[in-house]
Amino acid sequence: MRLSIAYRMYFRYSEPVTESQNEVRVRPRDDDHQRVLSYRLTSQPPLPVLSVVDYWGTVVEHLGIRTSHAELELLAEATVETTARPEPTESPPVSALNDAGFRLEHLEFLGPSQHVDWRSGDAVEQRAGAAVAAVASVPEMVSAVVADTREALSYEQGATDIGVSLADLLEGGAGVCQDFAHLALGMLRSVGVPARYISGYLFAADETSAHAETADVVAVQTHAWIEVAVPGSGWWALDPTNGGPVGERHVVIGCGRDYGDVPPVRGAFMGSGTAEVDAEVLIGRQTETHPAEASAPRRASPGRRMPTTPSSSERYQHQQQQQQ
Amino acid sequence: MGAPLHNPGGGLLDRYAPVDAYDEAFDADGSVRATYSRIVERFRELDVDEIKRLEALVADEFRRQGITFTVYSEEEGTERIWPMDLFPRLIAAAEWEELARGLSQRVAALNCFLADLYNGGAAAVADGVVPRWLAMSSRGFERNAIGIAVPHSAHCNVAGIDVVRAADGRYRVLEDNLRSPSGISYVIENRAAMAKACSWLFYDHAVQPTEQYGRMLRSTLESMAPAGEHDPHIVVLTPGIFNSAYFEHAFLARSMGVELVEGRDLVVDDHKVYTRTIEGLVKVDVIYRRIDDDFLDPVAFRPDSTLGVPGLLSALRAGTVTVCNALGNGVVDDKAVYPYVPEMIRYYLGAEPIIDNVTTYMMWDPDQRREALARLHELVAKPVGESGGYGVLIGPHATEQELDAARARIEAEPRNWIVQELVQLSTLPSVAEDRLEPRHLDLRPFVLTGERTEVFAGGLTRVAMRPGSLIVNSSQGGGSKDTWVLAPDTP
Repeated sequence: MRLSIAYRMYFRYSEPVTESQNEVRVRPRDDDHQRVLSYRLTSQPPLPVLSVVDYWGTVVEHLGIRTSHAELELLAEATVETTARPEPTESPPVSALNDAGFRLEHLEFLGPSQHVDWRSGDAVEQRAGAAVAAVASVPEMVSAVVADTREALSYEQGATDIGVSLADLLEGGAGVCQDFAHLALGMLRSVGVPARYISGYLFAADETSAHAETADVVAVQTHAWIEVAVPGSGWWALDPTNGGPVGERHVVIGCGRDYGDVPPVRGAFMGSGTAEVDAEVLIGRQTETHPAEASAPRRASPGRRMPTTPSSSERYQHQQQQQQ
Repeated sequence: MGAPLHNPGGGLLDRYAPVDAYDEAFDADGSVRATYSRIVERFRELDVDEIKRLEALVADEFRRQGITFTVYSEEEGTERIWPMDLFPRLIAAAEWEELARGLSQRVAALNCFLADLYNGGAAAVADGVVPRWLAMSSRGFERNAIGIAVPHSAHCNVAGIDVVRAADGRYRVLEDNLRSPSGISYVIENRAAMAKACSWLFYDHAVQPTEQYGRMLRSTLESMAPAGEHDPHIVVLTPGIFNSAYFEHAFLARSMGVELVEGRDLVVDDHKVYTRTIEGLVKVDVIYRRIDDDFLDPVAFRPDSTLGVPGLLSALRAGTVTVCNALGNGVVDDKAVYPYVPEMIRYYLGAEPIIDNVTTYMMWDPDQRREALARLHELVAKPVGESGGYGVLIGPHATEQELDAARARIEAEPRNWIVQELVQLSTLPSVAEDRLEPRHLDLRPFVLTGERTEVFAGGLTRVAMRPGSLIVNSSQGGGSKDTWVLAPDTP
């Protein structure tokens, strides 16, 4: 499927700020199942872009502005050719997960990470253990956990903030795509399945449904799902938010241990006001027309303010610096 | 002030009784070692009043210069006058030469490992010199450092390698400090105070100077400028005045003749770093930073950091600025990686280590753990991620409850602990109440690496103030001694 993606990020500050620095991870990656035909990132006002590939293989683009501004707009435009991602070819027994070489190869995706930490209590581990009690093979194990994640959570925007712990997520019982992904990752890793977080785009009317979309263009948000390593057959992509397969409608930006390794945008600014970041993704099949310009951003998430005067927390940071 | 030439002798060393350790000044028979013969003679001429008078002079000097250090307690820091013991440490030329070769070798191998890990495809990790999982699970492993260009592959420009001399008289490395080793300013101030209060002590020794450090550091940092910068602009980046080593940051900036800046003084524009001056923005080429990795850039690292420079990582990635020491050195400060340094020396340099490690047991290894925990009462347990002596348990000095608590902590998180054989640190006469008594000490030499490697002659000798104590860290109540590396023509 040939998809056109336009991702517009609109930063608005309540007071003009003197400086802002941002890094964005929005460029689709090239892999065996998708090919990037065109891509460009532009900004208003126009800024120089530094593009590098990070440790996880994701393209990071750095943009900074050092003149007074009250608004900043970034627009990433991509055309991607996608094919379906395969189901696992093997069905290895659960014991295959214990292979030392396999574990070493997937080390980064076996342990707890910043947003996927199940160790504060035993709720996540117990839930995962119960979900996989009767399974024989790794694919069954993974499917059971993904199904159980969908039992544990209902889809609800605004129910969580990024940074919510897995225990609180289970307790609250609701979240959005990254919460579904994080909980599934935590349960999978707690039972020994290497699992990684995928940031990307989904061509569907909303992220809870992977069903065919008849419209030519949809206005959505970035999406998140997971991939698990199955011994003998490589990475297997699953979408815990909608339970459906990861197919031609999913476009991968990159992977990491969790959201923290591959956030679409991260930044800081200098000034006294507050910031809002509105973001919207327009995705369309390219056989028709190009996606229209994003017009009405739908969701705003708060930005961050950089303190400019010494505070007690700053004093604490002065002291924390290890002088050996 | 004149030398007390005709003092009949105050008896300060008359009852000097070495403890069960190598004494740097006296051999096992109680005879003075050759290197120390003249200094011991001088101290025999002093009496307690004279010592007290000299101590007061030194303390006055430190107070006047504002030479203090900070002991953190709760959130507030407590300032203390820097404690220096009057009896200096002497190192003969030949002995120093051997030690310096060992230090250069060690830092060279560590730099090879860091260059390999972050820019070379991690051959040593792949070859199993250092287990891959161990490197990856280190808190100091910095994934953002991958691919950032480091001139001359010199990831560690300033290393502080802590060495001790064991009962057999041989030096061993106790720990490596490749992030922000501190203490050099005290080395230089110790010498200045000593030369002022006790100039007569230097008359019959040819002692290598210390005041060249600023010049050495500056030329090291100049060599780290991004390619093409011939007259690089260097700054020292400090967390600020509340940091324990702020005095040193200011000292180093002054002795190099460069600016001392905080994060807020720097700004990134078009992926280059600038400092704000009254003449406008001036590009910065080399940042000698004394801020932890996590705080350097709130965009890429800890978003709550108010100490760093937003966008600094983008400038590093663009190759327009060098940060010294490089990002990610914490992986080799991880004490669980320390046991592999001798193997790194063999792997990268094809040589045997000149200075050995202290025998170390890795707690993540079940067999080593079982054996070490059974003998914990005679060993030393250390958390892998701390420095400054924090969290160290010395088996023979611990109560049963403390030993049990340590065993439980180690069993719960074995990756985060090492256990070492107890080293009876060497001793030197040190001023006690009314005489000189043996006190344990270590040595932190400094190794500078840029285009070339240079070992600064001497280092910070830290001394435990209490009898029998093996904890020398100034944060734990230790003191210091002026350290004299003797010129080659002295015996």
